[in-house]
This record gives sequence, structure tokens and C-alpha cells, in this order.
Amino acid sequence: MSTVDTSAKRSALAPLGKPFAAAGGVLGIVAALLPWVTFSLNDGNWPDKATLQFFDAPFLVTGFRWHVLLLGVLILVAAFAPVPSKGRVVRALGWGLALVSFVNAAYITVKGGGLGAITALDGATAFGAVVGLVAGVLAILAGYGIGIGPVGEWKFKVSTPVAYLVLLVSFGAVLYAVAAMLTTGGVGSANPYAGAIFLSFLGFAAGVLGALSGVGFVRWLSALSEQHRVFSVIVLAACALLLPFTEAGNEYWMTVAANIGIYAATAIGLNIVVGLAGLLDLGYVAFMGIGALVAANFSGAATAHFGITLPFPIAAVIAAVVAGIFGAIVGSPTLRVRGDYLAIVTLAFGEIFTRSAQNDIGGITNGSNAIPGVPALSLFGAEFNKSISIGAVKLPAGVLYYVLIVLLVAATMAVFANLKFSRIGRAWIAIREDEDAARAMGIRTGKMKILAFLIGAMLAGLAGAVFAHKNGTVSYESFKFLESVTLLAAVILGGMGSIPGAVLGAALLFVLPEKLRDFEDYRLMIFGLALILIMRFRPVGLIPDAHRRAEMIERADENAEEAHVEAKKA
Amino acid sequence: MSVLLQQLANGVIQGALIALIALGYTMVYGIIQLINFAHGEVFMVASYGGLATFTLLPDDLKKSPAVALPLMFVGGIVVAVVVAVIMERFAYRPLRNAPRLAPLITALGVSVFLQEAVRVFYPNAKSNLPYPKVFPEGNLTIGSVNISWTGVLLVVLSVGLAIILQTYINRSRMGRAMRATAQDPDTAKLMGVNPDRVIVLTFIIGAVLAGVAGIMFGGYLNNINIDMGFQNGIFAFTAAVLGGVGSIRGAVIGAFIIGLIKTVAGQYMPGGTQYDYVWIFVVLILVLVFRPQGLFGEPERVRA
Repeated sequence: MSTVDTSAKRSALAPLGKPFAAAGGVLGIVAALLPWVTFSLNDGNWPDKATLQFFDAPFLVTGFRWHVLLLGVLILVAAFAPVPSKGRVVRALGWGLALVSFVNAAYITVKGGGLGAITALDGATAFGAVVGLVAGVLAILAGYGIGIGPVGEWKFKVSTPVAYLVLLVSFGAVLYAVAAMLTTGGVGSANPYAGAIFLSFLGFAAGVLGALSGVGFVRWLSALSEQHRVFSVIVLAACALLLPFTEAGNEYWMTVAANIGIYAATAIGLNIVVGLAGLLDLGYVAFMGIGALVAANFSGAATAHFGITLPFPIAAVIAAVVAGIFGAIVGSPTLRVRGDYLAIVTLAFGEIFTRSAQNDIGGITNGSNAIPGVPALSLFGAEFNKSISIGAVKLPAGVLYYVLIVLLVAATMAVFANLKFSRIGRAWIAIREDEDAARAMGIRTGKMKILAFLIGAMLAGLAGAVFAHKNGTVSYESFKFLESVTLLAAVILGGMGSIPGAVLGAALLFVLPEKLRDFEDYRLMIFGLALILIMRFRPVGLIPDAHRRAEMIERADENAEEAHVEAKKA
Repeated sequence: MSVLLQQLANGVIQGALIALIALGYTMVYGIIQLINFAHGEVFMVASYGGLATFTLLPDDLKKSPAVALPLMFVGGIVVAVVVAVIMERFAYRPLRNAPRLAPLITALGVSVFLQEAVRVFYPNAKSNLPYPKVFPEGNLTIGSVNISWTGVLLVVLSVGLAIILQTYINRSRMGRAMRATAQDPDTAKLMGVNPDRVIVLTFIIGAVLAGVAGIMFGGYLNNINIDMGFQNGIFAFTAAVLGGVGSIRGAVIGAFIIGLIKTVAGQYMPGGTQYDYVWIFVVLILVLVFRPQGLFGEPERVRA
């Protein structure tokens, strides 16, 4: 495979590629300078709080314009500079531009009173959004015109210190991006435009990330981090622990981040079952529920069933073990059942759990009244839900939970990574690829599959125990089918079998609802639609596992070849 | 004794309802090996479609069941078919050659999407909606057992449609094409069968049956809600598996067994109706573990 675009499929757009890209870039810049709204919106100037103040102008100039301008410039640069895989880069930037323009235009139109708000009204004109949208579409078309070649490959090697520096800077940028993503648009519903600003920022981030990945930077970076795995993990953990010191360091975001962490840990556990061993589990959240219930019952909460109060570490271990036992039970049908049928068995187990918990089975779940008042954790007298100060630095409330959960996620990651590259992990992957062949190679498939369920369930049980103390209330409502689907979606969105993928997927899926309170009603609908679209356009996920990626691309090539042969015949 | 007989009768009616949905599952799985999770939602959407049709009727037509009921059936079925065709065309068809996990997850997505779309866009769909009283009223009483005429109609429709479907698949040209595609899509293609048409037709047939079921569900239980699709969809899927996926006869018999388990277990097993759901799942797991091919299915072939 060469890095040059010659192998790319040419389309009818080919001769228009560069001119379109140039036009898209210029129009993008123009759009950033044009007015976007014909009047001041009812809920305050559009968008009231911007991520970056660009310049003050009569027509409410704010952060998203900065993004539009940047995207326009980048498209121009990409069009004329010798960039690897130019088509991909231009297309990704075009998508970014189109998304940013679309989100803002849609918001202004809906909140501001019709299409007049983004065209012309009462003598004022504001064609910024329209021009931006056109520029985006032009750039996307230009991308296809130039040709969508293979992703750029960076062959050059760097010395260890340089690699460390690159990793440090990159992860620092990731930390900044995460903090920015959390805080853009402000906390919850304080800003009426929070949702729009966030979505607009997401569009911008997606465009830039797509371009970086098109150039081949992302792949190069992930290879680099794989090479310096230990260093990367340390830096990543350090970055995560630095989050409380950024803009996102307040109680609200610490709580959100901690919740994301709990689900991320659970998603990594699910990733063992689904991503490595290839066993689809549709009732996985039940294990988290079991862990949470066990921890709650031993926590000394008023409605706890057992009269014993155990210290958290012991309760957490018991929670993990109990969940693990149930995992092995649920996994045992895998000895006889395969594929889709297994998915249904797990779904059935999940539903049995929900039903039983709802009806207060054995008096341990307290039914629909839930188990409230699970005490917060404390260590050396420091309550985890209060704010603490180290010397002169005052840290927001919930920061200890956040730290605990970062450590939990790190531990889960370590378990996952070690398993993945061990004999067991290879056995799982072999089973995923071809169970009969794996058995022929001497792998005890039944034992291995049950082991996958057991370990996955234990991790979920552990996360559940933390969940119980963190949230203070354990109700069966938190562990329903939809949560299982969401977790599965997190694994798939991030990329099956990939660790950063599971965290990213969980972060996106569990931070979006916080950000999109405006869309509370449409949230799940968008979620359903997103699942369909991901499967349609990026079934490998955002950060595909290297091995899995190879497999998918090969398959895609095969299909393309077949199509080619068929076309010749016709 | 009379309680048992009554529960058996209720079970048969529930089974008839589940059978109508299960046929859609079993046919789609038989042909493209896809567990179409969203099929339960097609049933739900049809129920709302029928209700919407009734709401839109002029007042004098609402009063005559003889006109209103058929129109509701037409409305519900049309909605179901449109949804199913769009779903097949835009969600499943592009994934025909994708890894097997992909369409299953898409199906989950479609299911969530449809359920939420109805909840958000149908007026007052957040709570139970009453179903119009245009169904035959009164009961059929045999000894101590009371069966509503709507229930009788449901059983008759269900069994009748299943027989028609079985005949269609065994006798008609298109039915032969379906069986051929189910056995070996590639060879069927070589024999001049258009797989896209066969698959769309399968979805349409499933949707029609689900449409009938959706209307009858409303008539039998008098009110509908957006959760009905998921629950009954799972029951129907269980029935399809129990009978042996791909087998029409199996799906119907499996559905009746599921219906009977639900009502009888709800009556006699510990925990009562709160756990009737659980017993169905226990049966499902046991069947999958000990007889995954179902009662009437062929043992699963290993695909290359």
C-alpha cells in the first residue's frame, strides 16, 4: 500500500476537487466574518457564553466563529499543501465545518423564529450559517473529488525522549480537550445555549480529529503509545488526576466525571466479554446491579437486609465475587449456545434480574423503594463527598470519589491489557475469530468462555460497589435493559477490544445526556439513531483495536474486489 | 378447576397474540439470520397507527364499528408496513455483508428509536392510551369459562393467518423463492431469485401480521403503551425459538406454549403474576441450552 493517492478511486468530481476545496476554504473564512443572526435572541445574545472570544463586532461574534475560521484556513492549507491522504483530510474538515454551521443554524432557526433568523429579516442580513454550510458541503465534495485514499502512514521513527515529549504534549492536549468539552457551554441548564455550544464544539473536534486521523497522525501516535506503554499509562493517569485542577474542577463536573468513570470501568469489563471473547452480552448491567446491591446491603444503610456492616474494601471484594459467581452461571450456557442465541440468553438473565430486583426478591433489593442512604466512603476521616484542602489548595467536593474512580479505571485497564496480551487473551481472540479452529488448536473453549464471563462480571461487580456508595441509592431502575444497551454501545462506539475506545465511548455516551438537557425528550431517540448510524458508517468504532482493524479492512477490500469483478461482468 | 380452565383460555388468547408477532421473527430469521429486535416495535407502532386512524375518522364513522374497525386495521397495517420497509431498506440492507454483530446492534438501535419516536411525537404517548371500543363486546361463556369475543376473534385471526401464510409459503412461486433464499441465498440468486425482493416481502408479511396483532392487542386489553412492543417482542422471540426458528408451525405452537406458561405460572407458581415474565425467560434459557434448534427446527448448520 502506498501513501500516494493514485490508488484512490476517481469519481466524476475528480477535476473539481481542488477548486471546490479552495472555494470551501475561502467561503469558510467568509462565513466566519459574516453575521449569523439577524437579531438578538430572547434568551440573551447568541451564544451567550463562548468558548473563545474571537472579536467584538456588531453581530454577536463568538466562539464558534473562531472554529469556523480555523476550519476554513485548515481546508485551504490542506488543499494546497502536500498533505498525505489529502481527500480524507479535506473531507473530514468539511464535515466539521458543515456540522458546526448546521448546529448553530438549526439552533438559531428553532430558538430564534424561523429561517428569517439566518437569512434576512427586517432589513438585517445574516448569511453566515448558510455560507458556512455551503462551504462545508463543498469541502466534503472536494474530498471525494480529490479521492479517498488509504490513511496516511508515518514511517519515521523518533528517539525515546522525543517520543516521550510527543506523548506528553498529545496527552496534555487530550486533557485540555476533555476539560474544554466538559465545561463548554457551562454547567447544565445555566446557559440556555449550552447544548448548542457543546454540539458545535463536538462538530469542530470531530472535524479536526478526523483530519488528524486521515493524515495518519492518530495511528502513528497510537503505535507510539503502544511502544511506550508504561510511560503512556502513567502520563494518562497523571492527566486524569490533573482534571480537578482545570476549569472542570468543580463539584458538578467531578460528579459527572466520576459517573463516567464508573461506567467506563464497567464498559472495559464488558469489552472483555464482547470485544475479546466475542460473546455478545445483552444483560451485562445486571452484574453491576448485583455488585451494587451486595455493597449496599453490607454498608450499614437503614434498609440493608443483613445486619452486618463491613468496611468498604471487604464489601467490594464480596460484591465482585458474588457478581463473578453469577457471571459464571450466566456464562455456563455458552457451553452449548452460540452467537445470537447466546445474546438472547444473556438478555433473558438480565430481565430476570430486573424483575426479581423490582419485586424485592428475598427482601434484599427493597423493590421499587430502592435502598437509600448508603453512606459515603471515608478514609482517615475524610468523607469522600466533601471538599478537601491540601495545604492552600482547596479541592472541590467529590474529588476523592473522582480519584478513587480514576484508580479503579486504571486498575481495570491494567487487568484488561494484561489479559489481552496473555495466553488467555490470545485464546479469547482465537475463540472470537473461529471457535472450532480454536478448539482444534487445543484451547479449552468452554472454560475460556466462562472465564471471560466471570472476569467481566467481577469487574462490573466492583464498579457496582463503588456506584452504590457514590450515588447513595441503589435501585433496580439503574440496571435495566437500556443501560446494558448503552454500555454495549459504548464498547462498540469506542472500538471493540480497544481500551481507550471503551473509555472514550463511555465518556461520550454518558456525558452527552448531561450536556443535552435541552433535548431531554429526544435524548434516547437520538441515541437509537446514533446506534444505527455508527453501525452503518463506522462499525469498527472510533478507536479500533489494531488487530480488529486489520481484519475489518481486509474484509472491506475483499468486498470491494468482489464488487469490482461484478461490475466488470455487467 | 374453573380457575385453571379460565387461565388456560387466557393463555390460548395470549398465545394467539404472541403467535402473530412470532411469525414475523421466525420468517426474518429464517431468511437473513437476523434477530430483528425492532419487530416488537413494529407491532407497537401498528397499534398506535390504528389508534391514530380511529382518531382521525369523522364522528359518525367512529360510532359504527363495522366501518371503523376495518379502517383501523388498514391504518395500523399500512403504518407497520411502511415502518418495516424503511427499516429494511435503510438500516438492515446496507449491513447485509457486515459482521453478524452489526445488524443485531442496529436492530437494538431501531427498536430504541421507534419506541422513543412514538413517545415523543404521538400525543400523550407518555401514559397509557385507551383503545376505542369498536371491538365485538360481550363474552363467550362455556361452562365456567368466560372468553371475550375479541379474544375469540384474536384466536381465529391468528390461526387463520398462520394457515394462510403456511400455504402461501409452501404453494406459491414467491413462497418457493423464500424457501430457496432461506436455504442458500447464493444458489437462489443463480436460479433467478431476487433476494432483495424476497427479503422486503418477508418484512412486509411480518409487518402485516404484527399490524393485525397490534390492533387486536389494543382491542383485547383496552389500552396500549409504548412498552408493549419490547415485552411482547421478547415473548414472541421466545416463542419463535421454542418452536424452532424458521418454522411457521413451530412459531405458532411455541407461542401457544408461551401464552399458557405465562398465565398458568402467573396463577400457580410462587410470586404470582409479578414473576410470570421470569418463568418465560427460564423456559427460554432451558430451551436454548438443551434444545437450541427448538421443538420443530433443524439442528443448526455450521456455516463456512
